[in-house]
Amino acid sequence: MEGILKRIAEKFRDYRVPGYYKKFDYRWTMVVDLDMCNGCGACVVACRAENNSATVGKEECRKGRALNWIRIERYVEGEYPDIKVKFIPIMCQNCSSAPCEIGCPVYATYHNQDGLNVQVYNRCVGTFTCATYCPYDVRRFNWFTYKWDKPLDEQLNPDLTVREMGVMEKCTFCIQRIRVAKDRAKDEKREIKDGEVKPACVQTCPTGALVFGDLNDPESSVSRMARNPRRYRLLEELNTDPSVIYLKRVMAEGPSEREG
Amino acid sequence: MKRRDFLKYLGIGAGGLGAGFVLGKASNPPGAKLIPYLIPPEDVIPGVANWYAGVCTQCNAGCGTIVRVMEGRAKKIEGNPLHPVSRGKLCARGQASLQALYNPDRIKGPMRRISKGGDFTGISWEEGLEILSGNLAKLDKDAPGLYMLTPPLRGHLNSLVNGFMAAFGSPDYFQYELFQHRNLIAANRLSASLSEIPYYDIENTKFLLSFGADFSSTWLSPVNMSYGYGRMRQGGQGKRGRLVSVEPRMSLTGANADEWVPARPGTEGILALSMAYEIVSQGYYRGADGGAWKSVLARYRPAEAAKITDVGEERIKRIAREFAETRPSLAIGGECVASYENGVSGLVAVNVLNHVAGNMGIKGGVVPNSEGFVEGARRPDLKTDRISTLLKSASEGRVKALIVYNTNPLFTAPKALDAGGSLSKIPFIVSLSSFMDSTTAAADLILPSHTSLEDWGDDFAEPAVGTPVYTMNQPAVSPVFDTKGAGDILLAAARGAGGRVADRLKWNTFEAYLRESWQGLYKRNRAMASSAPTFDEFWSRTLQNGGWWQEAEEPRKRAVYVSASGAGPHLPQSPSRFEGDEKEYPFYLVLYPHAGHFDGRGANLPWLQETPDPMTSVVWGGWIEINPKTAGGLGVKEGDMVTVDSPSGRVQLPVYLYPGIRPDTVAMPIGQGHTEYGRYAKGRGSNPLDMVPAKEDGISGEIALNSTRVKITTSDMSGEMVKMEGSTKELGREIVQTVSPEEFEKMPKDAV
Amino acid sequence: MNETGPIGIIKKLVSFAVVGAVAFFVGYRIQGRYFSGRTPAQPIEFSHRIHAGDNKIPCMYCHLYADKSRVAGVPNVKRCMGCHAVIKTQSPEIQKLAAYWEKKEPVPWVKVHNLPDHVYFPHKRHIKAGLECQQCHGDVASMKRITRVSSLTMGWCLSCHTKRNVKNGRDCWTCHI
Repeated sequence: MEGILKRIAEKFRDYRVPGYYKKFDYRWTMVVDLDMCNGCGACVVACRAENNSATVGKEECRKGRALNWIRIERYVEGEYPDIKVKFIPIMCQNCSSAPCEIGCPVYATYHNQDGLNVQVYNRCVGTFTCATYCPYDVRRFNWFTYKWDKPLDEQLNPDLTVREMGVMEKCTFCIQRIRVAKDRAKDEKREIKDGEVKPACVQTCPTGALVFGDLNDPESSVSRMARNPRRYRLLEELNTDPSVIYLKRVMAEGPSEREG
Repeated sequence: MKRRDFLKYLGIGAGGLGAGFVLGKASNPPGAKLIPYLIPPEDVIPGVANWYAGVCTQCNAGCGTIVRVMEGRAKKIEGNPLHPVSRGKLCARGQASLQALYNPDRIKGPMRRISKGGDFTGISWEEGLEILSGNLAKLDKDAPGLYMLTPPLRGHLNSLVNGFMAAFGSPDYFQYELFQHRNLIAANRLSASLSEIPYYDIENTKFLLSFGADFSSTWLSPVNMSYGYGRMRQGGQGKRGRLVSVEPRMSLTGANADEWVPARPGTEGILALSMAYEIVSQGYYRGADGGAWKSVLARYRPAEAAKITDVGEERIKRIAREFAETRPSLAIGGECVASYENGVSGLVAVNVLNHVAGNMGIKGGVVPNSEGFVEGARRPDLKTDRISTLLKSASEGRVKALIVYNTNPLFTAPKALDAGGSLSKIPFIVSLSSFMDSTTAAADLILPSHTSLEDWGDDFAEPAVGTPVYTMNQPAVSPVFDTKGAGDILLAAARGAGGRVADRLKWNTFEAYLRESWQGLYKRNRAMASSAPTFDEFWSRTLQNGGWWQEAEEPRKRAVYVSASGAGPHLPQSPSRFEGDEKEYPFYLVLYPHAGHFDGRGANLPWLQETPDPMTSVVWGGWIEINPKTAGGLGVKEGDMVTVDSPSGRVQLPVYLYPGIRPDTVAMPIGQGHTEYGRYAKGRGSNPLDMVPAKEDGISGEIALNSTRVKITTSDMSGEMVKMEGSTKELGREIVQTVSPEEFEKMPKDAV
Repeated sequence: MNETGPIGIIKKLVSFAVVGAVAFFVGYRIQGRYFSGRTPAQPIEFSHRIHAGDNKIPCMYCHLYADKSRVAGVPNVKRCMGCHAVIKTQSPEIQKLAAYWEKKEPVPWVKVHNLPDHVYFPHKRHIKAGLECQQCHGDVASMKRITRVSSLTMGWCLSCHTKRNVKNGRDCWTCHI
C-alpha cells in the first residue's frame, strides 16, 4: 500500500516539475523591442478581436475584471518638466518554468510540447490559484458569463471557445493561428516557416516592435533578436524562464538634457 | 427495514433517477440543427476563411485593409500587407471598426420624422426615396438651395456627389470633419506650392522634430508613420534616429520622445522660426537667398523667442544646431500647432524650418506627392467651403434642403457655433448616416447607408507615400440591416427626380459607376494601362490586391522650394490668441483627439471604450489633465470632479493628475460627451467642444480648438473615473529596462 | 437502522444521500444511453441505405468539404435537387424536398453528431490521416435513418489517438482551445 502511494506521489511530483519535455517540437517565442514600441494600443484591440474577449463594462473595469490578455503598462519617472515615460506590452510570458502550472489542482494549466503554457477551459474549475501564483498578472477570470449585444456576436471567431463564468483565461500566443499554420505545413509536408505564424498582436503592431517565431530554429528572426545585447526578460530573478524576450529601450538616464 | 424508511428510499431513489434524467436531457439538448446552404455561394468553403480587401474609414489616412470572412460574417480586420500606406498593419481604431458593422445601435432601416420635433417611424425604401425625390422636386430650378455635407471624401463617391449636385444646379457641396488637415493643406500650398499633403519620411530620417504632431495615436497617417517610427528607431538603416517633441501637453508621441520641450501654447511657430534663424545665422543654410531669409527671420532671434516660448535660449540653439547637423532631419507640425487660431502660420513656420535645414524634397525629409485626385471630384475651397459658412447660410434661411452623410457637426463643431440652432432652420434634412448621431437625430428623413464593409468604394490616400496610392473597397459581407450604399441612394434619388438629373446620372448602381470611372482611369494612366493588358484583368487584379499603386522602391524626387518672399507674409507675428482674461481664466486649454474615439466617431464601439487610453489608462469616460502642482494649488486630487469654465461654455469632468503638462495648461481629450450615438456612447462624460469659442483660422477655415483659457473650480457633482493602471512607478522592479544612447552605440551591431 | 440520536440521523442522511446519488447517476446514464436521440427523426426521411448503399454514391459527392475543411458539409439543397428534379419526383419524401426548394428554405436537418463548443474537431486532418468515414460514423450505407454509433466522448477520442500514436494526440490544446 505504502509503495503504491509512494509511486503515485513520485509521479505526481514528476508531473509538477516544469520542463517535463526534454526538447520542444517548437519553442514559440515572442520578442518585444521596447525601443520600437510606442504604446499605441493596437495590439490590445487586435487581441480582443481575435480571441473573443468579452467587453465587461465600466463597473466591472473598476473592480479590475477587464478581460484583456495583453496590456500596455506605462511608467512615469521624474517631475515636470523632466518626465520620462516608458511603455511595455505585457502578455502571458509562457514561462517554461511556470508558477501557475505548479499551482493548478486540476491540471487545467500545464506546459505542452511546443513550449506553450496551456490553459484548458473545460478543465478549469476556477480556483484562482494560477492567477495568484502568476507574478506577471496576466491571467483573467470570468466572473460572469458575459453577453454580446446582438449582432456583435456575429463577429466571434469560430476558431476558439467563448469562455463562460468561472473559467480562467489568458494569452495563448494565438494557438488557433499556430494550428492553422501547422495544418497548412502538414498539407505541404514541411515544417512551419519563419514568420508564418503571427499572433494577432504581432500581426497588427504598426511599429513592428513585436516579433514571433520558433527559438529552436537558430536562423529564425526571434533567435537572431534573442542574441541582441539589449535582451532581458521580465522579472528574470524569479527563474520563471519566460518565452517572451524584451529588448531594452534606448533612453538617456536621469533628467533629459533640458538646458543647454 | 421499516416500511416507512423503504418508502423514503424509494422516493429519494425515484427523485434522483428523475433528476438525473432531466439534467442529462438538459445538458445535452437534442435537436441542434444542421442548416445547409440553399445554393452555395461561390468560392466559399464552410470553416475556411476568405479575405476581402478594402479601405479603413475610421480616419482619413486611407489604410488598406483585408477582412477575414467566414460563412458570410466578418471576423477580423487587418492591414493589407501589399498596401503601401498600412503595410499590413492597423491601429486600434481600425481593428475595432468591425464593431461598427455589427453595432447593435445601427439604424436598421429608413425612417422618417412623423412631425417636426416628433419621433421617428420606420418606413420602406420606396417610401423613403419617394419623400426624398418629392422634396428635391420642390426645389427652385435656378436657386435650388440644396446643400450637401459629407466628410472630406477622396474617391469616386466624391465625384458622384459632385456630379449629383451639379445636376441639380447647386454649387453648395461642403466637406467637413473636425480633423481634416485644412491648415496643413493651406500651409503647404502657401509656402511650398504643394497641392497635396507631402509624405513625411519618418522612416529614413535621423532626427525627427515634432511640433505637437501625435502621429503615434491620431495625427495624419498613424499606422504608416508608426511603421516609420519603428524603423527610424531600430531595424532601419544606419544610426538610430532621435525624436524631440515640442508640445505643451505630452502626447503619446511626446512620451516616446528623447526630449520633451513644453513650449508655451501658441508659440510653437515662433520657436520653429527661432531655430530657423539660428540655422541660417550659423551658416548651415546652403541656398543662395540666405540674406533674404536672415532678414525675414531676424525678428525671431532665440534670445527674444526664449522669453515668448518659455524655452531656454541655449536649448533652442542646441536643438537647432542638432537639427541642421543631423542628416537627414525632419520637422512635422501636427494637431496641436494646427489647432490654434493662427494654425496655418505655425505650420508655415515648420516648413520654413525644414527648408533652411535642407529637408525639402529629400529622402528622410519632406517628400512631395503628385496630384492624385479623382477627376470630377471636388476639393474643398478653403476660403468658401467652411462649416461656418454652411451654418450661416442655414441660419439665414438659404438652405432649403440638406443631405448629410457620415459627418456629425452637431457634435464636432464648437457649441458656440450653434450648429443645432442653424440646422433647425432648414426645412428638410436627410441623413445618410449609419448611426443615430446628434446630426442624424436632427434630420427629417433617415436613409441609412452601408458601412464600408458592406459597400463599394475607393480612396486616394493623402498623404500618399511619394507615389500615388489608389485603394479599392469591395463589400466583404452582405448588408447586416436594411441599408443601401450612399452612392446607390444618390443614384436612386436622381432617377426619382427624372429629367435632366436622371439623364446626367444614368448609372443603375454605384458599383457600375465605380467600374466605369476606373475604366477611365485605366485609359488615362499609362502606368495603370501597362500593368495589365485588358481592363477586365486590371479590374480583377485591383479588387484582389485592394487597389493599385506603383511598385517604385524610391519615391520620386522633386525640388520643393520655400522662398523667403513667399513664406514671409504668412509667418506668425505673435503668439496665438486665447480668449479670456489671464487673471480670471488662468489656464490654457489644450484639446486633442482621443486615441480611440478620434473626433468622437469611435465612442460607440465597446472595444474602444474598454481599451485603456495609452497615457492615462482611463476607460469608459472622459477626464481633464492637470499638472499635480497645479492641482495641489487648486486643492483637488485625482478623481475629483471639477467644473471647467471658459468664456464660451462649461463642462464637468474628473481630474487626472498628469505630470506631463505645463502647470499653466490643462488638457482634455475629444470624443466623449455624446447626447446620441447609441448605448455605448450616449451620456458618457462631457464634450469639451462645449467650451470652444467660434473661432477659425482666417486662411484655412479650420476650427481653432485651442483658443481659449479656462478656470477650474471644484464641483460637488458625482462622477467616477475608472483607470486601469496600478502604480505609475516601477518601485525598483526594473520592469522596463533601458540602456543609455552612449552604451547603445558601443553595443556590437553584428550580433543582431 | 434502529439507532436513534445524532449518529443515527447522520447515518440515515448519508444512506439517503448515497441512494439519491446512485439513482441520479443511473438516471443520467439511462437518459444518455437510451433517450439521447442517437437516431433522431429527420424532417425528410432521407435514407443513406438507398444513396450510399444501393446506389453506391461516394460520401464526398455530397459531403463536399470533408477533406478541405474542419466541417464535412451537408449537401446544399440545390445539390439534392440536381438529381431529384428528375429522379423519383413522385415519392412523398422527395415532394417534401421539392417543397423546401420551392419555398427557398434550407432543410432543417437534426444534428446526429454534435460536439460541444469547446471541442475542435477537423474532418480534414482525419481524412488526410487515412481514416475511413465508417470508422467513426459506422456502416452508414446500411442505415435507413442515420444513427450515431460512436459515443463521441473524450475517452473514445483519446483511445484512438493513443492506439494510432497520433503526434501530440494527447495534448489538450490539440482539441480544446
